[in-house]
Amino acid sequence: MQLDFSIIFNYIPEFVSALGVTLKVTVCSLLLGLVFSVPLSLFKISGIKPLEWFAALYTSIFRGVPLMAQVFMMYFGVPLVLPVKFTAFTAGTLVFSMNSAAYISESMRGGIRAIDKGQYEASMALGVRYGAMMKDIILPQAIKSVMPSLVNEFISLLKNTTLIASIGLVDILRVGQLIQSRTYRAFEPFFAISVFYYVLVMALSFLGKLLERWVNKSDRR
Amino acid sequence: MIDVKNLHKSFGALQVLRGIDLHVDRGDVVSIIGPSGSGKSTLLRSINLLETATSGEIWVDSKLITRPDPSLHPGENLQEITKAHYQDPYALRRKVGMVFQHFNLFPHKTVLENMIYAPVTVLKLPREQAVEKARALLESVGMLEKIDVYPGTLSGGQTQRVAIARALAMEPDVMLFDEPTSALDPEMVKEVLDVIKRLAGSGMTMLLVTHEMGFAREVSDRICFLDEGRLIEDAPPEIFFSTPKSERARIFLDKVL
Repeated sequence: MQLDFSIIFNYIPEFVSALGVTLKVTVCSLLLGLVFSVPLSLFKISGIKPLEWFAALYTSIFRGVPLMAQVFMMYFGVPLVLPVKFTAFTAGTLVFSMNSAAYISESMRGGIRAIDKGQYEASMALGVRYGAMMKDIILPQAIKSVMPSLVNEFISLLKNTTLIASIGLVDILRVGQLIQSRTYRAFEPFFAISVFYYVLVMALSFLGKLLERWVNKSDRR
Repeated sequence: MIDVKNLHKSFGALQVLRGIDLHVDRGDVVSIIGPSGSGKSTLLRSINLLETATSGEIWVDSKLITRPDPSLHPGENLQEITKAHYQDPYALRRKVGMVFQHFNLFPHKTVLENMIYAPVTVLKLPREQAVEKARALLESVGMLEKIDVYPGTLSGGQTQRVAIARALAMEPDVMLFDEPTSALDPEMVKEVLDVIKRLAGSGMTMLLVTHEMGFAREVSDRICFLDEGRLIEDAPPEIFFSTPKSERARIFLDKVL
């Protein structure tokens, strides 16, 4: 069979808008996930049993149920029992961010645990209250050890967002299927898509490295 | 200034403090010495509530900082006492500065940020004013030139001098030193002791847990000797070091001097 990559170029506008969708879902999910993960990780270290149970249950659910099932549940299932209506974008972003929060909060908990108790004592001895201590002293240090897993989470998020094609959003993967159905060619579009994702992931890893170096600036001598 | 009354502290079954009575006047410099495990640090840490007393009371500046101990107030209404005298930990800690064995500077903040963080956050001091004060304090401990570096680049002695300046930035009435030179390389001990000595000379009320006997003798108004959670001697240094009353203090001094 003759390969013809020129067909890809007829779909540049579709690819561009699909890339936008993929990135929007990924970035929104990561940021929201990061926000959700803060209370979740604080619950986990709170020493208050109901909060710890809640956080443990939350994490185990999002770890234990396949992501695809979570997406379907949020998009098709939840609106039938609750008075809410989601666009595919909202449902997808919500699931991905709640899911990331579960994973990020685990590594954040580890990061917080690893901080020397002297940091808490110094803050307390200076009269700093719990909220300010967490926000200004503990979490900024914990974030450092969380950075590598945060970059990993970002990458797996980027790849997992392909699942939103299944609830009708036109992301990069969906454009590939589109091309396939119109041209009866599969190798070229999916090869192009693989390259797309690969380049994106490499770029993200690189950015992640830069970011890691930036948050670790205080360690430089 | 500080009144410790029949203070007990246990960690589970382990009794660390077994009834400490200690009185410190404003301007006093009191060194707490004794064998390791005798409860020195626990006593010091109780005074700014990094440890919670099991029983007994601590008064700082005529305020009760622990729960009232019923056995010290027979027949009195404890709620009344709490209402009249109790002070919360945050207010207390603003008045009591603490210097740790392991410095505990915030590694992700520069020296200046370490200095101004609590004054700005806790005392609500305007930033410019806090910076000004920080510069003056760093100058006084000889650390002004390191104002913009991160603590990771400092030596132990430099770090501890910044930590002392950081505690002083809160303008405390009392300073607690918990083995401030124990984690230092020998050649850095003096630079830190010099700073503490100058502070003692300035009239600051100080409690100092230390293993530096020569230094304790030089700067202290009183030496408190702790052994197995009891305060067994409380005397001026010239008396304590020359004619200790107890056998245990004599044995201890024989070993360390």
